[in-house]
Amino acid sequence: MEFEYLLDGAPRRIRVEKTAAGLSIRDGDAVIQVEARALSDHEILLMAGNRPHRAVVVRNGGRLHVLLDGREFVLAPPGERDGRAGEAGEGGDGKRVTAPMPGKVIKVCVVEGERVRRNQTLVIVEAMKMENEIKAPADGIVTKVRAAAGELVDSERTLIELEPAGAEKEATNG
Amino acid sequence: MFGKILIANRGEIAVRIVKACREMGIPSVAVFSEADRTALHVQLADEAVLLGPAPAAESYLDMDRVVEAVRRTGAEAVHPGYGFLSENADFARRLEREGIAFIGPNADALELVGDKVRARRTMEAAGVPIIPGMKTAPKDFAEFEAAAAGLGYPVIVKASAGGGGKGMRVVREPGALAAALEAGRREAKSAFGDETVYLERYLDAPRHVEFQVLADKHGAVVHLFERECSIQRRHQKIVEESPSPALDPALRAAMGETAVRAMKAAGYDNAGTVEFLLDADLRFYFLEVNARLQVEHPVTELVTGVDLVRQQIRIAAGEPLGFGQASLAQRGHALECRVYAEDPARGFLPSPGRILHFQEPRGPGVRHDGGIYAGWDVPIHYDPILAKLIVWAEDRGRACDRMLAALGDYALLGVRTTVPFLRDVIAHPAFREGRLDTGFIGKYFEGWSEPPAGAEAELLALAAAAYADMARLGAEGAAGAPGAGPKGGPLPWETLGRWRLGGE
Repeated sequence: MEFEYLLDGAPRRIRVEKTAAGLSIRDGDAVIQVEARALSDHEILLMAGNRPHRAVVVRNGGRLHVLLDGREFVLAPPGERDGRAGEAGEGGDGKRVTAPMPGKVIKVCVVEGERVRRNQTLVIVEAMKMENEIKAPADGIVTKVRAAAGELVDSERTLIELEPAGAEKEATNG
Repeated sequence: MFGKILIANRGEIAVRIVKACREMGIPSVAVFSEADRTALHVQLADEAVLLGPAPAAESYLDMDRVVEAVRRTGAEAVHPGYGFLSENADFARRLEREGIAFIGPNADALELVGDKVRARRTMEAAGVPIIPGMKTAPKDFAEFEAAAAGLGYPVIVKASAGGGGKGMRVVREPGALAAALEAGRREAKSAFGDETVYLERYLDAPRHVEFQVLADKHGAVVHLFERECSIQRRHQKIVEESPSPALDPALRAAMGETAVRAMKAAGYDNAGTVEFLLDADLRFYFLEVNARLQVEHPVTELVTGVDLVRQQIRIAAGEPLGFGQASLAQRGHALECRVYAEDPARGFLPSPGRILHFQEPRGPGVRHDGGIYAGWDVPIHYDPILAKLIVWAEDRGRACDRMLAALGDYALLGVRTTVPFLRDVIAHPAFREGRLDTGFIGKYFEGWSEPPAGAEAELLALAAAAYADMARLGAEGAAGAPGAGPKGGPLPWETLGRWRLGGE
């Protein structure tokens, strides 16, 4: 049986076979044999040889959050684009500038038609008592302002639309 | 002793105070905003009162509503925790007028030390060394410009009413001053309801060393030694410890004596902290008094054995301290790590959301002060602190080992936290050697990202996910899951037979 997930935005296809001892999991050339036992509705004990790993698996929306050896892995269904926006303060793809986290718009610093420089502050969003400056990912012109002061916004909500300046535009830092 | 205490706070500190009340046999009252209806502190208190809407200004910062909650429940005292109204002298005065005890310093002392500018003048007069900076807080931009030029850049904008990094901005050149003042004022206004800011010279890379003080209402003042809190990001502490690796007994005694003198000069009572900056030549400067219980109070509790919240309540009720400086000693070493809902790989961006799973670490010498549980939605409206992990061991090296192990056991899913970052901080050779300063994070951890998981861990995580999906598909026994799921081949219940989730 094959399963496909997006891990850190990269598609991963694994093949799972039931064997006498448990499960055989293949990812490309890598194969691992594990014995799996459910401990509760969200906890699994995976024995890889004589090495026990307690995994926690929680479903949230379409995603699976897996805790293994003290680390969180977020597995998205294939087809979902990488959930994360760009780096801090410069979400979006260079044209749409998005909110990097849920929060409240404190101030919109630009108007439609304004020419902006890369790293210029476009919008200030507050979450958890800290102000976060959302900056322009590239030089360009503000074509649309889609946020207003006082508004609550969700993660990845478009705040500003930009027309990047010409073909010589700098690569974004995302 | 008080017949009932209202806790005018939320989150982990409200939980900590509820527990102290319970141990002392005092009924506790929690207050909450609409965003906190199901918060942990609400669940644990004996009574709980809704204050108002989610924004702090309409709930936790609204004195009228807090006083109304006190009246309605018949509480005799208010513990303000830290943040919110804890350092608000108007609030302390109002409670005084209404015959309600404030578990904190008297209003005059609070007003004095809470006004950072006035406090600097008082300390200077008492012979306490202060950092060069403004001793007034003007409104006019030209005066700020002139003061900054006089001090020499870099300077730091500070909120006169503030602490905890709120309203602070480092300014390295004149062109950035106006924007920094504006941002500092806005942040100070929203955090403290007071937009007054002033400038100090910014010392690059000092250590932050503070002294815990307890003072009763009968003139007894003792210090409970130091905490070093040099590991900071955005001027906010993330790792604290006691003792400080920088102090020897002579310096410790000198700083402790200065802290006691500072509190006496302020006419202070109850628990408070005198913060100092310590430069590379081990010269110390008064920074400010935090007139409240500190976030990092547990490290002092672990090395001295004194329960600070219990002492606060006793002192506020008028009881004498009952012990002197000579009876206090530091034993072993304690470390605290703050767990924030922030993504350390993205510039500590706030990370509110639902906690999908949570299990705190346990074991000998491990303490967890938390305000969270699995299934709870971390709101966007408040400080991102989720919990504090504190360890104690015989010496600093063993405390670091214990902290690393405990951070490795910290199991939390759903929101990004500072835990993976803290592991790397504690494991860093400079940290292990005690070479700390407030520039530590900027120096060693700029652009940090979590080290890759490794192929085997990834494969096991994928296996766990596939196992869970198989179990779900088997349990549903019908159409496959949308998105993630088997791609072709026989359906799982056909190949797995009796092998099902929870079965053999």
